[in-house]
Amino acid sequence: MGNSHNLPPETEGAVAQAAVPSLVPKRVQTNRARPNMAWIGLVPFFAFLTLFLFIPAFSVFSQAVRGADGKFTLGPLREGISGQNLEAFKFSIKFSAGAAFVGVLFGTLLAYAAVITKRPKWLRSLIASFSGVAANMGGLTLAFAFVSLLGRQGVLTKILAALGWDLYSSNFGLGEIPGLITVYSYFNIPLMVLVTIPAIDGLRSSWREACANLGGTTWTYWRRIGLPVLAPSIMGGFLLLFTNSFSAFATARVLTDNSKIVPLRIGFFLGGDLSVGEDSIGYSLAAWMIIVMAVCMWLYWILRRRAEKWQS
Amino acid sequence: MKNLLGRSGPKIVILVTSIFFLLPLLTMTRFAFQNVGVFDLSWSKAFDKWTFSIVTKPFEDQYFTDSLYLSFKIAIGTAALTLGLLIPTAIWVHLRVPKARVLIEFMTVLPYVIPAIALVAGIVVIKPHARWFLNSDLSLIPFYTVLALPFTYRAIDSGLRAIELRTLVDASRNLGAGWMRTMSKVIVPNLRSAIISATFLTVAVALGEFTIANVLLKQTFPPFINEYRMREPRAGYALAVLSLLFTIFIFGLLSVALRSPSAKSHQNSPKSRELS
Repeated sequence: MGNSHNLPPETEGAVAQAAVPSLVPKRVQTNRARPNMAWIGLVPFFAFLTLFLFIPAFSVFSQAVRGADGKFTLGPLREGISGQNLEAFKFSIKFSAGAAFVGVLFGTLLAYAAVITKRPKWLRSLIASFSGVAANMGGLTLAFAFVSLLGRQGVLTKILAALGWDLYSSNFGLGEIPGLITVYSYFNIPLMVLVTIPAIDGLRSSWREACANLGGTTWTYWRRIGLPVLAPSIMGGFLLLFTNSFSAFATARVLTDNSKIVPLRIGFFLGGDLSVGEDSIGYSLAAWMIIVMAVCMWLYWILRRRAEKWQS
Repeated sequence: MKNLLGRSGPKIVILVTSIFFLLPLLTMTRFAFQNVGVFDLSWSKAFDKWTFSIVTKPFEDQYFTDSLYLSFKIAIGTAALTLGLLIPTAIWVHLRVPKARVLIEFMTVLPYVIPAIALVAGIVVIKPHARWFLNSDLSLIPFYTVLALPFTYRAIDSGLRAIELRTLVDASRNLGAGWMRTMSKVIVPNLRSAIISATFLTVAVALGEFTIANVLLKQTFPPFINEYRMREPRAGYALAVLSLLFTIFIFGLLSVALRSPSAKSHQNSPKSRELS
């Protein structure tokens, strides 16, 4: 975050070196003579990433394009997005988008409330610190907590039943769309708070005053200034929460056995006792998941660059 | 009316969200530490039969201590590998190849693109070729280092940005210090808060990681809790509450540790020098 403001000094330096080589001959020469040597210092890092990230990722793709006979084929990749697998992707995209939407909405509201509430003073830092913990809390603990609240024997389930609303009489389940959205909101909302607080801080009070001086109402301010400035951050946040929900494994694994959740489906294929050839479906699903993630993160990267414009 | 909404709106938002965030924690705690059936929900019994003796129960299980010990070993190894790999790399990038900065930053967010479940799929593929390595429980260390990379690199990188690295290094070298001495006496003390936060983040990731350990059938702590909860629901929930408290404790410690030295390290920042 916030790397753009570091670029100008470097580019300036580069321009200066290129433009006036004669003024600082020695420095420039040493820098020019050893550019390739300098890259050697990065070898351990790249070697590490190659071994423990690139090779596994590459292996997923190489397995996903291999048939039962070991020859190259696009069959598994095609099968990864057809039939039940397609249903799984549709289901996962649906609940992840829903969870991202809920997270963006409440996360932005909460971040805004935290920023404009001046008293008590500790409230903002409490919200920020709690968000730091809760955004990382995905996984077992979270799933346990929601099972005790909204599981079949959960406290809230029982209370609602006593009030005459039987959740489980309809299709509710912690592994179905409304249940997953509820549970995932627990880490999505705080994550959204963390990524939008800087953006909301970037809204200057002078803009609001300027708007008021020109005769604008609160509504005009939000429609013409506030929301357009926040829009890249909000859209970026949506993508971040979407990928976060789409790829979560641990929470879902404890909540449910629903094989329509893509990460769980991959897990079943990886751990399962499968006949040769069928196991490439698991890798094909993993490959498609990486593709979905890559598209989202690429868009996120673009949006973040745009969002940083207002946050210096 | 509109004014009233504008004034109390933020408070309502905060109130509603805090209820949402507290309720699951409360019910989990109750389930773990109150020895009554789920059906007994009346107010009159709300404070009956609370007992914390349940926390000793997991110690009767030998896998509990084994898995906890393994997880701590992995966490320490992950933190060591992270610092040993990232600090020199980040310093090198800042001093010698600033051109590589965007590239490195891009590399460090790749674990978002290749999430744990996809990474473990790849590990399963290479497993037959590297059994000698992957059969060891400690082989999780480099993969956890990868998973924590987006957080840890950012922490160290922003720590380096906050100090005037080149000036410090030049000064130290001019005074006759070698590279090792410059690292240990000049750079590392100035990076104190960045190193602390990177370490805590790594430990949090390594202690909580479930996906890879679960698929590779490694007996670390998170898979143990999950399996234990099915045998001993209440004690399992109690463990979950305790590990949550431990996480909160770690993050609390982190914010305290970062607060005290930050006042000192700011003396080196350009702003405070201008002021003095």
